[in-house]
Amino acid sequence: MSVSLRLTQLVARVLKKMGRGGSFPGTLGLKFDKKMISKFQMPEIVILVTGTNGKTTTSNLIAESLRQAGLKVVHNRKGDNLNVGIASLLAVNSDGHYHIQADACVIEVDELTLYRQFKDLHPTHLVVNNFFRDQLDRAGEMETIIRRIEEVTKDFKGTLILNGDDPNVVRLADNAKQAKIQFFSVGENAISQKTSDEASEGKFCPRCSNRLVYEYYQYSHIGRFHCEKDDFGQIEPAFYVSAIDYENHRFQALGRSFYSFMNTIYAIYNCAAVLTVIQDLKLDVECANKVFQSFEMKEGRNEVFALSKPCVINLIKNPTGTNEVLKYILSDEKEKNILIILNDNDQDGCDVSWIWDAHFERLLKGNVRHVVTSGLRAYDMALRLKYEGLEDKVMVKEKVEEAVNFLDEDHCPSYVLSTYTALHATRHILGKKASQ
Amino acid sequence: MKLVLLWMYHDLMDLYGDKGNIETLKYRCAKRNIDLEVRTCSLNQKAEMEDVDIFFMGGGADKEQNLIYQDLLSRKKAIQHLLDKGCQFLLICGGYQLFGQYYKDQDGKVVNGLSFFPYYTVASDRGHRCIGDVAIEVNLGKEVVQVLGFENHGGQTKQVETPFGRVLSGHGNEYKGSSEGFMNEQVIATYIHGPLLPKNPEVADFVLQRALARKGMTMALKSLDDEWENKAKEVMLKRMGLAR
Repeated sequence: MSVSLRLTQLVARVLKKMGRGGSFPGTLGLKFDKKMISKFQMPEIVILVTGTNGKTTTSNLIAESLRQAGLKVVHNRKGDNLNVGIASLLAVNSDGHYHIQADACVIEVDELTLYRQFKDLHPTHLVVNNFFRDQLDRAGEMETIIRRIEEVTKDFKGTLILNGDDPNVVRLADNAKQAKIQFFSVGENAISQKTSDEASEGKFCPRCSNRLVYEYYQYSHIGRFHCEKDDFGQIEPAFYVSAIDYENHRFQALGRSFYSFMNTIYAIYNCAAVLTVIQDLKLDVECANKVFQSFEMKEGRNEVFALSKPCVINLIKNPTGTNEVLKYILSDEKEKNILIILNDNDQDGCDVSWIWDAHFERLLKGNVRHVVTSGLRAYDMALRLKYEGLEDKVMVKEKVEEAVNFLDEDHCPSYVLSTYTALHATRHILGKKASQ
Repeated sequence: MKLVLLWMYHDLMDLYGDKGNIETLKYRCAKRNIDLEVRTCSLNQKAEMEDVDIFFMGGGADKEQNLIYQDLLSRKKAIQHLLDKGCQFLLICGGYQLFGQYYKDQDGKVVNGLSFFPYYTVASDRGHRCIGDVAIEVNLGKEVVQVLGFENHGGQTKQVETPFGRVLSGHGNEYKGSSEGFMNEQVIATYIHGPLLPKNPEVADFVLQRALARKGMTMALKSLDDEWENKAKEVMLKRMGLAR
């Protein structure tokens, strides 16, 4: 029995009684014992989920699907995906002898720190969704992130579940010679395009630096590609979505139909990742399908508040995610107001230049009445829109309360896009307004 | 009135929202009835350079920078010709570095630049990456202005005799340095992205004014409503403790 582990568990229990969770117990545990994470006896199934976008949703779906299949699952549901969060999770769910009390662990891991925790967690499966440019001031260049992951998967003997339509993810298969590789891929569908003005990454073959040829793009640089000089990109997917029916929220794979929890292409990719895992574990895929039908997204992901007219809030944090949220908003053809809250705290990324890489100019074409900008960088956001020719529609309201009041009083359906550190406070303001 | 802008490697050297600089020039020209033609040129493409008034190049990741390197060197003569003809150059980050003597990476490997200017760049020592908000003071001839943006570079640029500005907050050319960028009659080269021009309209107009002057058009540009630009600046200067 370990005293430091017991103390960590005790603190976690006290905090829980006070109605507080969070990663403090992990911070404490790691202070007692730096090597704490490596000491846990992990269950037979350990699934790590990483990548830039969709980690939280994908890992939630995997965990729920495993539960549906009757397994006892330990999972960082709220996305505490750094060292201290993971230490907390494991400590809380182990006995006094570092034995995790579960059949499976599903852990979302930050793509920047994965290389540090990977071996300590003894994964059996690593799921990699995608790599997009994100928080360059904190993350540095994407190349560095990928190389670090290649380092730790080099002698990985488990299963790599990889997005076969992202060249930067497919690249991991080249270096992981001992792993079992399971690609998932999504076929051409109604939203696929022959050319892209979004692709910033994945332009060149990682083997020979030749420009990659795309048969079609789904979004950003995700799509079907190959290198004309070598066979990079010629994959045989273990899981393949052959058709998508956006009208009815359904997609075809494995010769049957599945329900999609959200009507977007990236949601289909999340489902595909989940089903590849379930298939590899030889569990019933219907367990996942059931979860897709009842799944509710996390707070701040397409959450609706009843102001005078409905108001939908979404988290934005990088160009690709923002582009997808914008597509979703513009698929609503009715007149609408939009509020964009841009902060530049550490967790948002201090560098706000990414707003110039997202396609805000698309708002020119939507039926947009007003765009209100708010947050610490309200004026930077206003300039982003001004220089695209939206200046007549833009209003700056530095305080979020004032911006929300405007949305409420203008009696028009609205959409809120918020960076991470403004999300919690904004949801609170919206909730209060909705209950008035 | 017509100006031609050439945007080199628009799809590769575009790491930090550099396209915002182009949008700003387009907008400020349109408001003054100046016809700004934006041409792009990428790897292995033919560039029509003869009548170019403004040459723009942004920054890229190391991988992209290595890809374009040979291509850029192969165009040295054509770019020299542009310099001789008085074309204006706006160079950000990687674009800035590649116009100097050389870049020496962490392993000591030297990559020769176009060698148009005497400065050179060496990779930073570990942990000495220059990241964060940056404010500098720039003399634009008629006025001295504060220029704001974000820097994120490992390279330390040395031997800059005529910098773009004096550092008020942030690093500049070197870790904890006192000068930022490089400037002469034709060139503004800087590590400031964010991007540079939207929040610093004086610099945008300065580039346009110089490009027009070469064509004999020396009258003042019509002033525009820069309320948000000024507010964006004011907010940041206050946060940096530099508000006047």
